[in-house]
Amino acid sequence: MITVTAARKHYGSFLALDDVDIDIPSGSLTALLGPSGSGKSTLLRAIAGLEGLDGGTVTIDGRDVTAEPPQRRGIGFVFQHYAAFKHMTVRDNVAFGLTIRKRPKAEIAKKVDDLLEIVGLDGFQHRYPAQLSGGQRQRMALARALAVDPQVLLLDEPFGALDAKVRTDLRQWLRRLHDEVHVTTVLVTHDQEEALDVADRIAVLNHGRIEQVGDPVTLYERPANDFVMGFLGSVATLGGQLVRPHDIVLDRDRTTALALDAKVADSPGVITATVERVVPLGFEVRIDLRADSGERFAAQITRRDAAELGLHEGETIHARATSRSTVVDHDPALAI
Amino acid sequence: MRVGTGTRITLRVVALGYLFVLVAVPIGVILWRAFEPGLATFIASISTPAAISALNLSLLIIAIVVPLNVVFGVVTALALVRGRFRGRGLLQAVVDLPFAVSPIVVGVSLIMLWGVNGWFGAIDRAGFQVIFGLPGMVLATIFVTLPFVVREVEPVLHEIGTEQEQAASTLGADRWQTFWRITLPAIRWGLTYGVVLTVARALGEFGAVIMVSSGFPGVSQTLTLLVHARYIDDHNTYGAYAAATLLMGIALLVLLLMTLLDRKRSDR
Repeated sequence: MITVTAARKHYGSFLALDDVDIDIPSGSLTALLGPSGSGKSTLLRAIAGLEGLDGGTVTIDGRDVTAEPPQRRGIGFVFQHYAAFKHMTVRDNVAFGLTIRKRPKAEIAKKVDDLLEIVGLDGFQHRYPAQLSGGQRQRMALARALAVDPQVLLLDEPFGALDAKVRTDLRQWLRRLHDEVHVTTVLVTHDQEEALDVADRIAVLNHGRIEQVGDPVTLYERPANDFVMGFLGSVATLGGQLVRPHDIVLDRDRTTALALDAKVADSPGVITATVERVVPLGFEVRIDLRADSGERFAAQITRRDAAELGLHEGETIHARATSRSTVVDHDPALAI
Repeated sequence: MRVGTGTRITLRVVALGYLFVLVAVPIGVILWRAFEPGLATFIASISTPAAISALNLSLLIIAIVVPLNVVFGVVTALALVRGRFRGRGLLQAVVDLPFAVSPIVVGVSLIMLWGVNGWFGAIDRAGFQVIFGLPGMVLATIFVTLPFVVREVEPVLHEIGTEQEQAASTLGADRWQTFWRITLPAIRWGLTYGVVLTVARALGEFGAVIMVSSGFPGVSQTLTLLVHARYIDDHNTYGAYAAATLLMGIALLVLLLMTLLDRKRSDR
């Protein structure tokens, strides 16, 4: 369990962390999600001790480590750009933490070989980092961090420097690894898809504050405010409220739309809009719309519904949010 | 830019001719004059007691200066790259000063400081001779070779950044272990290159050293001073050519080493 209490950090006049409190349960895989400059990396580095705090405390498994240097915090850290020791072989990289701890040679050799097998780098022992691909380097860095049996594993945008295909593969792999190893893991990312994909808890940060913490489903379906809603998935502004584009129902006939609407008293009203563009996206079709008020928004419907409606650009249509949709009142001050 | 064949050939001839007249001819003439009387004469000339003493003195100065420059250079480069302190800009400028100041000025100022009547003259009067002794020559050589290690190590430190060191600290290494196991191996090529440049410059330094050396043959002559003394004082032109050839031979060896290291460095 990692507990951060009232963490504050300034860089000059920039406030990177603004009284942040967070509990990270043991064995969880928590994602710190936010745009750049939201303080997510600073929070992670403060947990690691790579960044000092101006105020507040960090405890790891009940031990106050606020004043401890990184080497005495029992952590493993993985950097975005791998931070591979370029002058060492893969084996020496992974063995580094154990060599520093002066463990017996045989024990080190066995542990390194086991870890390299887990991360799928068996047979690469004598290569240098320059001879590995980005994905392989990051797996080596992960093995290196795990070698010292850390109480917590901290990952700072670990897949950010990799290309899209490798990134999705590696995050699936990380998820499986976590299910096997169960080490408390904190992952920093700006990619909501990545957070929803791997994490079992997500903390959304913005302007040095935590906006909401919860499991992915809660955050997606019951966002605390429109920043969280906007950051976890796409949104459309419909009559002053934010809704998910796939929660918008389109109908040619206003009365049908109204009839459906009548079942739920507080759902937003029906809006009349003009179809500007119909964009097929594979399984779904995106309809770009312009309301009579001039507001532009997009709805996302299935191919079948789109085929049934047979929409054309320029025609007028009625739109409203479905009765069970996620709706947040729009607050311009919180907008991204 | 497209250049016609005629222009291209003319440019090449001019460039090669320039190099030939200014570099190849003087070196060639000295080599020719040194080996003209035969190898035995050459060897006899560079193995006189004065010549051997001069070679030893030059190497001794290098042996003292290089370790000092390595320690100072690495510490200064670390401070310049990693440090966030007042006066960093000033330190940058000071490190470059030896490039700008003429060696003869260095010699004069050293005498002003360390000579019997200088600011630190008390040390000399207490019996520890700085000027006209080995310490003076070492000080002069340190001054002129000061920037090399700093300036070679600095860009490498910039390039490697701090992430590898941070990674080492999260893996349990303290500052000292991180320096020996991560930082030093990462900068070793830059450091080696800086050392080679220091050696080359220390070997060839003349202006600063002649000011602070008593210049006695067999006692306080470096190789450059030997060349000078043989030519000017002894009118032993052949001896000067031979000593110059020896100096050049060592410099060539250093240059060769430098090229090999450079190749190795770019391989990585």
